[in-house]
Amino acid sequence: MTKRLCIHGLAGLLASVTVPASAADTITVASWGGTYQEAQTKAFFDPTAKDLGITIKQDTTNGLDDVRLQVTGNAVKWDITELGADECARGSKEGLFEKLDYNVIDKSGINPKLVHDDWVGISYTSVVLIYRTDVFGDKGPKSWADFWDVEKFPGRRALSGSQATETLSVAALAKGTPIDKVYPVDIDGALQSVDKVKGHIDAWWTSGAQAMQLVKDGEVDMASIWNGRAGTLKKEGAPVSFSFDQGVLTADCMVIPKGSKNKDIAMKALAKFVSPDLQANLPLYVDNGPANEKAFETGKIPQERIKDINSSPENVKKQVLQDPEFWRDNLVEATEKFNNLIQQ
Amino acid sequence: MSVGSASLDHAGRPDGVLNADALRADARRQALGLLALLSPGLFLVFSIIIVPIGWLFWLSLFDETGQLSLANYARFFEQASYIKTFATTFKVAFVVTGACVLFGYPLAYMLSQLPRRAASICLIFVILPFWTSVLVRTYAWLVILQRKGLINNWLIDLGVIGQPLPLANNFAGVVIGMTHIMLPFLVLPLYASMKTIDVDCLRAGMNLGASPAATFRQIFFPLSLPGLASGVVIVFVLCLGFFVTPALMGGGKVIMWAMRMEQATSLYSNWGAGAALGVVLLAVTLALLGLFQWLLGARATGVWSRR
Amino acid sequence: MLLSLAPSALPIGIHGIDKRFGAVSILSDLSLDVAAGEFLTLLGPSGSGKTTLLMILAGFVRANAGSIKVGGEEIITMPPHKRNIGMVFQNYALFPHMNVFNNIAFPLKQRRVSAAETAERVERALDLVQLKGLGERRVDQLSGGQRQRVALARAIVFEPRIVLMDEPLSALDKGLREHMQIELRNLHRRLGMTTVYVTHDQREAITMSDRIAVMNAGRIEQIDQPEALYARPRTKFVTGFIGESNFIPVECRNGSVWYEDRKLHMNDSAPPAGRYLMVVRPEKLRLVPDAQQAGVLNMLPATVGDVIYQGDSFICYATLRDGRQVTLRDYCRSDVLAKLPAPGEPITLGIDAQDVVLVADQ
Repeated sequence: MTKRLCIHGLAGLLASVTVPASAADTITVASWGGTYQEAQTKAFFDPTAKDLGITIKQDTTNGLDDVRLQVTGNAVKWDITELGADECARGSKEGLFEKLDYNVIDKSGINPKLVHDDWVGISYTSVVLIYRTDVFGDKGPKSWADFWDVEKFPGRRALSGSQATETLSVAALAKGTPIDKVYPVDIDGALQSVDKVKGHIDAWWTSGAQAMQLVKDGEVDMASIWNGRAGTLKKEGAPVSFSFDQGVLTADCMVIPKGSKNKDIAMKALAKFVSPDLQANLPLYVDNGPANEKAFETGKIPQERIKDINSSPENVKKQVLQDPEFWRDNLVEATEKFNNLIQQ
Repeated sequence: MSVGSASLDHAGRPDGVLNADALRADARRQALGLLALLSPGLFLVFSIIIVPIGWLFWLSLFDETGQLSLANYARFFEQASYIKTFATTFKVAFVVTGACVLFGYPLAYMLSQLPRRAASICLIFVILPFWTSVLVRTYAWLVILQRKGLINNWLIDLGVIGQPLPLANNFAGVVIGMTHIMLPFLVLPLYASMKTIDVDCLRAGMNLGASPAATFRQIFFPLSLPGLASGVVIVFVLCLGFFVTPALMGGGKVIMWAMRMEQATSLYSNWGAGAALGVVLLAVTLALLGLFQWLLGARATGVWSRR
Repeated sequence: MLLSLAPSALPIGIHGIDKRFGAVSILSDLSLDVAAGEFLTLLGPSGSGKTTLLMILAGFVRANAGSIKVGGEEIITMPPHKRNIGMVFQNYALFPHMNVFNNIAFPLKQRRVSAAETAERVERALDLVQLKGLGERRVDQLSGGQRQRVALARAIVFEPRIVLMDEPLSALDKGLREHMQIELRNLHRRLGMTTVYVTHDQREAITMSDRIAVMNAGRIEQIDQPEALYARPRTKFVTGFIGESNFIPVECRNGSVWYEDRKLHMNDSAPPAGRYLMVVRPEKLRLVPDAQQAGVLNMLPATVGDVIYQGDSFICYATLRDGRQVTLRDYCRSDVLAKLPAPGEPITLGIDAQDVVLVADQ
């Protein structure tokens, strides 16, 4: 491990020596903005820029549409951009990305489901079950089956209305599907499961902020929520509890948009971003877990922090990993059916 | 007739013909002059209304692979949720417009009866919400209306209710939030039209034997209708395209057309999917406006006033 | 019975009306009796209180004190819609959302008159104001004069006990206004309804009224028949408001009236001692060709300033010995024309004893 780090470091050093810094050594990276991108800046971008002796400019993205517009419009501004894994799968099918060179990028430690010809996983978000301890004490719903059990756990509920993929995964878990059998999702079965709880859902949230607000203000007593938002609530002292049991892991990925003018440098930068060393930085600043599980072996992450990170080996076992390629093929149909179901 | 041949005419006509030509030239010059004055406006209308709408329509005819297709429109019939969204959109627009009339008419009436100074101060309070962003106002309503919000807390503290009322994250919440935002759009034109009602007409009504209530019913109300109609049209059309308030106050259960456009655009990764929704909404809205115009037009030409 | 109001015309008794808006007094202790079937005009400048009085009669403005009796019945506290008083508004106040028929039928509809009778009465009212066949017209399709007639028809169709008119002709052009004056007058003669008419146009008041109440600053200065008001005004205000007039300062002492050193002959007995103004209408002044033959005429020497020929008449501006300018008007009869004075020529102005009217010099 240390050896590889050394080699990487050396390579970086060599790069900075052999290729003198110039205007060409500037790349632009786009991500989601906000605290997440700030964390990425400290964890990935700044160290990489320093190591490689390049300048990393930043931008924010709204997702695949932005990439498609740039690529099809022959106006590629970005050299690396972050996307949701299912967007990566879709964009890949559309041929919007450059092939990745796994001679430059070390893929070991990254879940093979997130390693593809032209995209690679970068971090994880989890969908978790949160409940208010002022309502349930510590005897709140622990599983999605509990969440679905309106008699044993009376109270107001919220689920994601905008992320059909997550809610359908959760619905599959609720009807007792084991973690490793959730994918491929039985969409009709999951929809039936949603139908059962639908009448008891008081809000279908459409943004992370909204989910947080619903729980924080006591508008609902339990909800599905992204782990980052759940962690923030807890830090703010809200009376809430959540765990990674039956969480749904959703990956983010990074790609090099087709036509990037600094493809080679971007490749080297991307290699840095997914390296265990820099990946281990991420959970120091934000609740999104590293995509490279070797990050947990670097010793950079304090032991007591590891159990709170959604992608730690321990926590990963408790969760379902969303399959980006499954959703690439089924997203539209499932979402339309889902929308149809949840509307009043 | 040309000037040349006219000059050969000896019956006093050449002058007349010359004048006719000069008059035609004048008219043409005037028309051109007016057109020149209009051209910046026409250009603006063309470039910011006609072109984008045309483009929207054009985009709506392509599927996500870029093939010419009616897939974006066929979807409305294949997926029941679109019909539902459409129905919800119109239901919300109707109810909000109704609520605005219910609250706005008495308000506008009161304003119109106040002395000018007092009225202008009150009008400031009507317009004040315009200066705050819709987002802020909607969140404020959320704070007021939700389960542990101000209203429910007060009512429970006062012992009026035992269980919190479901005021937010549902249809009621959307209607309350949108009514608040739309109210000025109804009140302002209504107030303006009420202000133009001649006090002497109301006096005449009473003088001729109509009680104050009958005077209101038979004279004031009919005369305020044009203002009411324009307010209703503005509110209704704005409601049809509303996004922020239903998205935040509806708890994800009240999906309106604009929210659906956003969903469709990202779900299908295709502007056309959203554009088709826009085209349909535009067409239905125009049809409704046409219907409205026709009804009002019928009234203006006196069909209504026959006894 | 229909639109023959004479039998039901009622007298109006107005007593002690006070109206203040805040500290401003609009009407103070105003009393006025209108005889049944009389056409009475309230004449005065704007701000004189005439419109306020009309509004109090109609019930739109509540008086602070006073009594209004119509045919002996007290109506001062009655709401406007129960007063059964017809009113023609200055701007007509026709209902723009109704056609002519419905405008005129409006008061009948309020009184639950049957449809058949309504149609008949509206037709007759339209006939009366010479608008037969225009019932289906929209209000905005009518000319000013036609609107005026519709307003009039609407105000009388329900056979009100009294009719009020608030400057009803002021929006019409001159020719039409004069024509409508005659028409209104004739209509009043035919129907005989008690009418209170407000105007600031003295000529209109004189043309139309049985009696005129001249109002000034919330009071009635003088109430009289037009002829008396013109010939024998009692105050300087009334004189100045009605017709043109020369004011010549005079003094009363020892039971006689003196202009400078000349004793004036007058039919009326002399007022108490003091200073007065002699009111002389321009047409009452005469050019006296031969002072010796004048008899009882009061004669004032003067110098001609200017003579203006106006076709049917002429105006002569002359300067009295005290420097005061007076105006004389006479018709261009050939005997007069033959002796027209030239500017600068000394003349003698004559006033008949019966034409000497004195008002207080305020």
